[in-house]
Amino acid sequence: MPKRILLVDDEDDVREVARLSLEVVAGWEVRTASSGTEALALAKAEPPDAILLDVMMPGVDGVTTAQRLAADPGTSGIPVLLLTAKAQTADRRRFEALPIKGVITKPFDPMQLARQVSQALGWAV
Amino acid sequence: MADLDASIAELWDRFAPVMRRRLEVLDEAAMAAIENRLDEATRRAAEGEAHKLAGSLGTFGAPQGSEAAREVELMLEGSVPLTAAQVLRLSELVERLRGEIDHPPAPRAEEDVPADDRPTILVIDPDASFTERLVMDGAARGLRVTAVPDAQAGRRALAERAPDLVVLSVGADAQDAHALLADLAARTPPVPVVVLAVGGGFVDRVEVARLGGRGFLQTPVAPAEVLDMAAQVLANVFAAAPKVMAVDDDPQILAVLRALLEPRGVRVTILDDPRRFWAVLEEAVPDLLILDVNMPGISGIELCRVVRSDPRWQALPVLFLTAYSDPETIHRVFAAGADDFLTKPVIGPEVTARIFNRLERVRLQQRLADADALTGLANRGKSASGLQQLLRLADRYHQPFSFALIDLDDLKSINAAYGHTTGDGVLRRLGGLLAKSFRGEDVVGRWGGEEFAVGMYGMNAHDGRDRIAAVLDAFREPFATDDGLPLRPSFSAGVAEYPKDGGTVHDLYRAAAEALDKAKSAGKSQVAAAGMAPQETQNEHVEVLLIDDDETLAGLLLHALRTRGYRCRWVADGLTAAQMLTGDPPAVIARVILLDVGLPGLDGLALLRQLAQQGVTAHTRVIMLTARAGEQEVVEALGLGAFDHVSKPFSVSVLMHRIRRALEV
Repeated sequence: MPKRILLVDDEDDVREVARLSLEVVAGWEVRTASSGTEALALAKAEPPDAILLDVMMPGVDGVTTAQRLAADPGTSGIPVLLLTAKAQTADRRRFEALPIKGVITKPFDPMQLARQVSQALGWAV
Repeated sequence: MADLDASIAELWDRFAPVMRRRLEVLDEAAMAAIENRLDEATRRAAEGEAHKLAGSLGTFGAPQGSEAAREVELMLEGSVPLTAAQVLRLSELVERLRGEIDHPPAPRAEEDVPADDRPTILVIDPDASFTERLVMDGAARGLRVTAVPDAQAGRRALAERAPDLVVLSVGADAQDAHALLADLAARTPPVPVVVLAVGGGFVDRVEVARLGGRGFLQTPVAPAEVLDMAAQVLANVFAAAPKVMAVDDDPQILAVLRALLEPRGVRVTILDDPRRFWAVLEEAVPDLLILDVNMPGISGIELCRVVRSDPRWQALPVLFLTAYSDPETIHRVFAAGADDFLTKPVIGPEVTARIFNRLERVRLQQRLADADALTGLANRGKSASGLQQLLRLADRYHQPFSFALIDLDDLKSINAAYGHTTGDGVLRRLGGLLAKSFRGEDVVGRWGGEEFAVGMYGMNAHDGRDRIAAVLDAFREPFATDDGLPLRPSFSAGVAEYPKDGGTVHDLYRAAAEALDKAKSAGKSQVAAAGMAPQETQNEHVEVLLIDDDETLAGLLLHALRTRGYRCRWVADGLTAAQMLTGDPPAVIARVILLDVGLPGLDGLALLRQLAQQGVTAHTRVIMLTARAGEQEVVEALGLGAFDHVSKPFSVSVLMHRIRRALEV
């Protein structure tokens, strides 16, 4: 069974490339959301195998979304990876406290994204 | 992952307007900063857009765009007013981003899949079981062979991707193949073609060679032999192609250089790890080196200094790629011994123009060392070693090989009458004509004085004689000297065939020189084949006897035949011809008769009947010259033992081709 991924990013372009790359390179099923609120609803309705979450979003941002996902028993078991363009030391320290499995930096290489996700989650590459 | 690349390219097209809107926000902020009116809101908006661009440009294949956007983002962070230097840098970065967004991203380097460097061969041959073997055996030898059944499918395959070499089978219906050959030769760079002459059918080798075909093989032939020949031709092509080595830690830049140069016939060796520099340099032996200024570990400038201090590489041209064109960097680059520098990001036309400029100069220097100064042709030493190679090639593939010795007629009197400058001009003109007329595997050289040598692979003496005669036809065109004086130069030539007339270059030279003497003493301005001394008998032996009452046509044909060194004779009526050919002993013995159907006295068919009855057609091949609508005549003539027929009006080259074929034993 192909992995089912929920991809959350408010930027259409980044979201589309990420979706394409996960579908074409890894053959996964990808659903997308463009806000934290939408992501929370979708994750609850159809729990995916993993969630890829952009940090900087208007409204409910990625950090808050990750915390809410962890707090809800219906979604707390889903592994979360953060997507962020900023990966400075200060940010990393902030992310360490979060209930997430890892951080992927933007820009990512579309050829490598699926591999990075698999590695962070301990999936067979 | 070509489909992912294609999909991302599509996405890029879709999102380019979004990127441009983001860039506008940055542009506005940069403009405001210059005019010292950058407010907080504009600054925050620009920071946000820079952040988004930094996150996405690299993903679309423009990592430098991401870096530039990231720098903008960091600069705009916080609220400390920008310094004058920062404002300047900001506008620079915005311009760089504009360049990245307006130029579609370059194809990404495929890092996890090693690039397929295997030479590609396209086989155009209808024999499926044969081509299947070629594909399989080719793969075993590291060649990527694809096969299509006909020229039409060949064209489609060529439109998709230019192979390194084409193997083309040429059968009886050669028109398609000839057109395809011409197209392949006209490409930049021209695609070399190995021609498979399909068994039984007679392939017009002269035409194929003129169209740029490089190697001949006669079917049936083992797949291994075809691949051997292909590998050999490829080795020659690769050795002749200019070579560039590029060192950069950014695979993107290397991929762009490769994409720019390889379609234009340059072999590109790329290296993204400068620590392996020497090993790769020794192996690649490039004609030009491209270095990045800043690389981790060792800088390009240091590499350049070391290269310059090594006597073997002192003369190697070095081009630098730099992200900065500030005077300091430029000074360092030239001080280290660079020949030129290019600024990143790499932009197509300018970069290729500069690289080709350098390469051309290198090529010129190399050629000068082996070239004859007056004509630019290979000198004696260089062309002799080329001939030696051709001889080995002919031996290995059981192909004929012809050697021609060409000598300009009356150079002394041209020099005496017009001066040496004019004489040199005539020599140069002949050199240029020879260089233009012989390509591919052929070898052309000036052997000193007024003597030139030509080696023609795959040509027997008849074919060779015809090709040299075609050059002679072109050379005899009158032209004006620098002083405006009309001049009608000519040359004489002797042609010898390997191994019939000699087993070594030296012996072939001697045989060709003898034939050349014959051509000279027979009146100059003609080509003679070796080993065709007339026998001392009471009857006259000719190669071609023309029987036709059309004087104009006869004049034209006799001229063409004599230029090619054929011994020939012309008779205008059937009765005279019959007496000449059927006496005991016959007054004239011909190897080939060109026989017009509509003759006065005795018509062509009646004459042919007589010749057949007398047994003349047993040793003489008759080519009937018929009227266009004379199908009945053709059938009858062939029934009577005619060897071939050509319908009037015909082109001289077609008839010459048929005559060569009739002369084949």
